[in-house]
Amino acid sequence: MNTPEIRIENVSMVYSDNGASVKALDNVSIDIQKGEFISLLGPSGCGKTTLLRIIGDLLQPTSGNVLVCDQTPRQTRMDQKYGIVFQSPVLFDWRTISKNIRLPLEIMKVPREEQNRRIESLLELVGLSKFADHYPHQLSGGMQQRVGIARALAIQPEILLMDEPFSALDEFTREKLNEDVLQIWSKTNKTVVFVTHNIAESVFMSDRVCVLSPHPGRLSAIVDIDLPRPRTKEMRDWPEFNALVAKIRNSFEGV
Amino acid sequence: MNVMKKMTLPKLLNILLPILFGILFLYVWEKNGLHYLMGLKKYQLPVPSQIAKALADNKTQLLSNARYTTAEALIGLIIGSLIGFFTAVMATVFPKWGYGGLTVLSAFNAVPIVALSPVMNNWFGMGMGSKIAVVVVTAMAAMAFNAYRGLNDLKPFSLDLMASYAATRREVFFLLRLPNSIPNILTALKISTTSSMIAAIVSEFFASYAGIGFELSNALKTAKMPLAWAYITVAAIIGIALHFIVSLVETYALKWHVSQK
Ligand SMILES: Nc1ncnc2c1ncn2[C@@H]1O[C@H](COP(=O)(O)OP(=O)(O)OP(=O)(O)O)[C@@H](O)[C@H]1O
Ligand SMILES: [Mg+2]
Repeated sequence: MNTPEIRIENVSMVYSDNGASVKALDNVSIDIQKGEFISLLGPSGCGKTTLLRIIGDLLQPTSGNVLVCDQTPRQTRMDQKYGIVFQSPVLFDWRTISKNIRLPLEIMKVPREEQNRRIESLLELVGLSKFADHYPHQLSGGMQQRVGIARALAIQPEILLMDEPFSALDEFTREKLNEDVLQIWSKTNKTVVFVTHNIAESVFMSDRVCVLSPHPGRLSAIVDIDLPRPRTKEMRDWPEFNALVAKIRNSFEGV
Repeated sequence: MNVMKKMTLPKLLNILLPILFGILFLYVWEKNGLHYLMGLKKYQLPVPSQIAKALADNKTQLLSNARYTTAEALIGLIIGSLIGFFTAVMATVFPKWGYGGLTVLSAFNAVPIVALSPVMNNWFGMGMGSKIAVVVVTAMAAMAFNAYRGLNDLKPFSLDLMASYAATRREVFFLLRLPNSIPNILTALKISTTSSMIAAIVSEFFASYAGIGFELSNALKTAKMPLAWAYITVAAIIGIALHFIVSLVETYALKWHVSQK
């Protein structure tokens, strides 16, 4: 086995504000291979966001080690290798939709021509071409979230960290975007860490599902999803698919 | 077409109703209705036609004094806003000691104009300088606090987003903080245009060579009530005009803002 792209070793995180302390993660270890699509699955408050932020160097763990691309998360972040989709869309209100997607491209000094090309194709992908010149407040919450996804994809990141990117979307849009993200991912061979609390979604998307249990956040199981790729809508009805969903659901009941 | 009518009718009423009310108010005033209501003698409150006559008779004098006071207010407003904005930027970029600057400004701001004016007259003489200084003090605090809020009240995760791109502090400032503060800066300017005129006029009351406040106080002392009211009218018009200009800039600059929906 190659060295993993992301190595999480005995990571614990304790939040403490004014005396009270919350143990959000307890001794979590996961190795994620390059090009792997991994889901972090678990109920609210089990530390999914915390772990994602630690990987992305937005938070320092209380103890334990994280290596990304054989270096510290800090170095990887400085190399501009992360694309992050946050739980809320975080659009800049004063920028139009296309300018919001342009933001990271400006920071990374991508040539203007290339910026335009990517923005156009991403807007098409998330179905918002008509809204390129609209401002965020003119879009619905789900549309805004799609802009956030397009913005993260725009920089063609080495590592894509997504925090419940589809939780605000309706079932139809969610399933369509599930497939779209998978399609982009299959073309680019990027490593994806995908946070969700939707079991079926995690099965549909992932190579492996890391099941977290709350209070404190522990890794309670890692489930291999050996469904073939490319994944298609029809697979959602396969007995194998439903067996995996059931298996994961049962692993929660054991907690 | 139908939709257009539905849109414009309430808008039309929004404009027409205040105008109608204004005309009614002036009519009642002209016919001594206000005197009756407030128990005032005729010489205590001139009626609109007398004020209009005073405006026409003293046009040159009114204009030159209006220019004098407006200059004080605008120069003070600009200098004060720049100082305030600079302080807010310092407090943002160097939070450790920069915040002290905000505290100093708020201390200045707590001094009432009535107390500040004589001090400034004493420091900067009876000319424009002392009036500008008073306006500067009143304008800088409004700008400092509003701009500081705009530079620092950021959407959750927006700093994280910039961090994930390894954006420099400079990029965070120019791409995130500064544009985020535009609505607050305009709010500060709106507040300050009005308060600058007031500050300039009140300062002129104490000691001056010219200006609306100076002439107003003279007219009151010599019981030239229509002239005094002509000055009050001019001050009001300038205040409204300045406010209108800032509002216009705001509508243009904040096309993206929710409030412009
Ligand atoms: N900044 C913080 N300060 C203190 N406690 C925190 C902080 N952030 C998270 N926590 C606590 O850590 C635990 C894990 O939080 P986290 O946000 O990682 O959960 P999550 O799995 O992402 O939940 P959700 O699905 O609701 O987003 C929770 O108990 C939460 O209260
Ligand atoms: Mg979360």
